[in-house]
Formats: sequence, structure tokens, C-alpha cells
Amino acid sequence: MSKEDVLGKKPLVILEKIKENLERLNEKMEVFIELQKHDRKDSRQPLSDTPLDVMTLLSMPDHLRKTAMTICRCGRATAEETSQHTTRARAVESAYLNQLVLMGYLKKERKGRKAYFYVERENER
Amino acid sequence: MGKIIAVHSYKGGTGKTLLSVNLAATFAKQGKKVCLFDLDFRAPSLFAILKIQGAECWVNDYLNNNCDINKVLIDLTQRINGKGKLFVGLANPETEAIRDMSAKDRKWEMHALGRLLYLRNALLNDKEFDYLVFDTSPGLQYSSINAIVAADLVAVATTGDRSDVDGTRRMLRELYNLFEKKTGVVINKVLDFNSKNKREELYDRVKNTYQVPLLGIVPCFCDILRAEGSFIFALDKPDHPFSLLLDEMAKKIDANEVK
Repeated sequence: MSKEDVLGKKPLVILEKIKENLERLNEKMEVFIELQKHDRKDSRQPLSDTPLDVMTLLSMPDHLRKTAMTICRCGRATAEETSQHTTRARAVESAYLNQLVLMGYLKKERKGRKAYFYVERENER
Repeated sequence: MGKIIAVHSYKGGTGKTLLSVNLAATFAKQGKKVCLFDLDFRAPSLFAILKIQGAECWVNDYLNNNCDINKVLIDLTQRINGKGKLFVGLANPETEAIRDMSAKDRKWEMHALGRLLYLRNALLNDKEFDYLVFDTSPGLQYSSINAIVAADLVAVATTGDRSDVDGTRRMLRELYNLFEKKTGVVINKVLDFNSKNKREELYDRVKNTYQVPLLGIVPCFCDILRAEGSFIFALDKPDHPFSLLLDEMAKKIDANEVK
């Protein structure tokens, strides 16, 4: 990073980059906390092999159901988009979404700077 | 954007199908573009009530990913006197199809929910339908809960039967509320509705018991029983008190009075 970048040429870009990195770090910490909660080392193996169907939704705690329902309705959404529907903070939604990914109910895909969450359905259309 | 209405109940025989058909017809009569879906796969009945011999594709085929939704829709617009449009999607009444739908696993049901949610894009957005009305199976059936999750509003048909009242209350608390659904109750088959005292007492009782908006109270009409499902009151008898009640109900829904 050059001196003039820091002094004013691209401060917004730099701030955005810092924010993005912090968000990624935050996500990694959330995954790590969830893994520790369940005494697991690997995040690739989901906690549950049941699909995210309506019965699973019914048995979920209220806070996770709200997030999962939003993804079901939208099909695919970022934490930011989810938070607009649930009117909860983006960071809160990010934590819940990552928890649902770890539980095996949602899938996560990165596209550039954004992380998208979705329900995996075979032969959707 | 249009709305999806799921007509549901705790018990069978509460008048869901009668309500669904007449509500859809009423919306169409009022100039709306409507599609009525038979999602009661265990006891399909719309084909008989609407006197339709067969379908190119059934709703079952759409949910099974075997056809596009446009192949399922049957245009009944010529049966309406008005500016609206009425379509219907039928459930396959053959025994084999009923057996097949009863044996579906959780993965399939999850996929079916995706297909129902997709109707919002395919019909409400792209084809500009005003209303999709889902006629569902009673109780906690997978297909019904899918319909409820996909809907914007749940119209719950119930009667004065004690077990029905108790079950409806539980469903309001443990099903519709959990999914944060707008819910309105329709009390059907009410006796002695002409007495003013009885009417007022009933309104109070419903308000206290269910604590959700009341869509309407339908008296027990002998004419409806006598008709044995052979005609659609909203279309064939527009001046009948039942049709007038439906007009009011449709207006309430259209005015977003159910919050």
C-alpha cells in the first residue's frame, strides 16, 4: 500500500477492504465457535443429514427458523439481504446462517466478495 | 404483487374445499386473475366439483418435476360472468397417484416446497396472477405445511365442534404462529345464526378463543347440503347469502384487513 493511497486517494477502498477482511475473520470465528460447541474439528461434515424440510423448520429454535425461512423464501441470499427481511443486524444473521451451514441445512458459496447462502434442492426447476 | 392463500383446517369436513372454490370464484368475479390449486393429494376433489374430466398434467406432475406449471393450468374463465380470469390446477384422483403421494420422503417434500415457492415467481410475478388459492389436506400433513409455508395468508376453516376448536387453537399457536403467517379464521356450519344475541355471543367467543382476525361466519345453509357440490354458489347463485358472505370475505382479504 503506497503512502498516497493511505493519505486520501483510496481511503474508502481501503476501509472497505478492512471491513471485508474483518467480516471474513468474524465468519471464521463463528464457524470455529460452533465447531467447539459441538466438539468437532471438521466443518465439512454436517451435524445433521436430514433435509431442511418443513418438519425440521418446525422443530428449530425460533431465531434460527426465522433465518432459515427467509432463505427458503428468497432461494439464495447474503447475510445483508437476509437481515433486511428479518430486521435483525447483519452480524447476527451471519452467525445464524453459518450455524445453519454447519448443521447441514444450508449451503454457502462465495462469489467475489459476497457469501451467498441457499438451500440445496436437486432438480429445482 | 399478488397473494397466495392457503385454505386449511385442523379436521376434515370443515368446508375447506367449498370455501376454496367459492373464494377463488368470487375473486375472479370481482375482476381478479386467480388460480385455484388442489393440494389435497390424499382426497382430490376439485376435478369432481368443477366437473373436469381429465388434465394434460396434474399438480402431482409439476411437483414431481415432470412438467411445467403452464401445462397444469386449466382455463375456466368462460364460466365466469365478469372481467376476471379463473384457472385451476388439479390433483390426480387415481388411487395409484394417491398412494404415490402418500409414500413421498422428506427430501421429496423439501423439493416440493421449492416448487410451490417457485409459483410466486412463475405465476404471481411473470403471469401477473392476483391470487393463488391452495385447497389443502386437513391437519399436520406434509403437503399442507408446505402450502402454509408458501402462502402469504392462511384461511383456517373451523366449526363449533369442541375437538375442532381445540385443535385449531393448537395449530394457531404451534404452526401458523411459528411460521409467522397472517391467519384469518372462518367459522363454518354455525347454527341459529339469525338471532342477534347468538351472533354477538359468537363474535365475542371467536375473538377470545382464537385471538386472530375473523374472516367470516358462515351459517349452516341447507341449500349448500342439498346442492351436494353440484354447483358453485359464487358463480351459479350470486345472490345467495353464502355468496354475499364470500363477497365480504374476498373484500376483507383484498383490503389487507388480515394482519
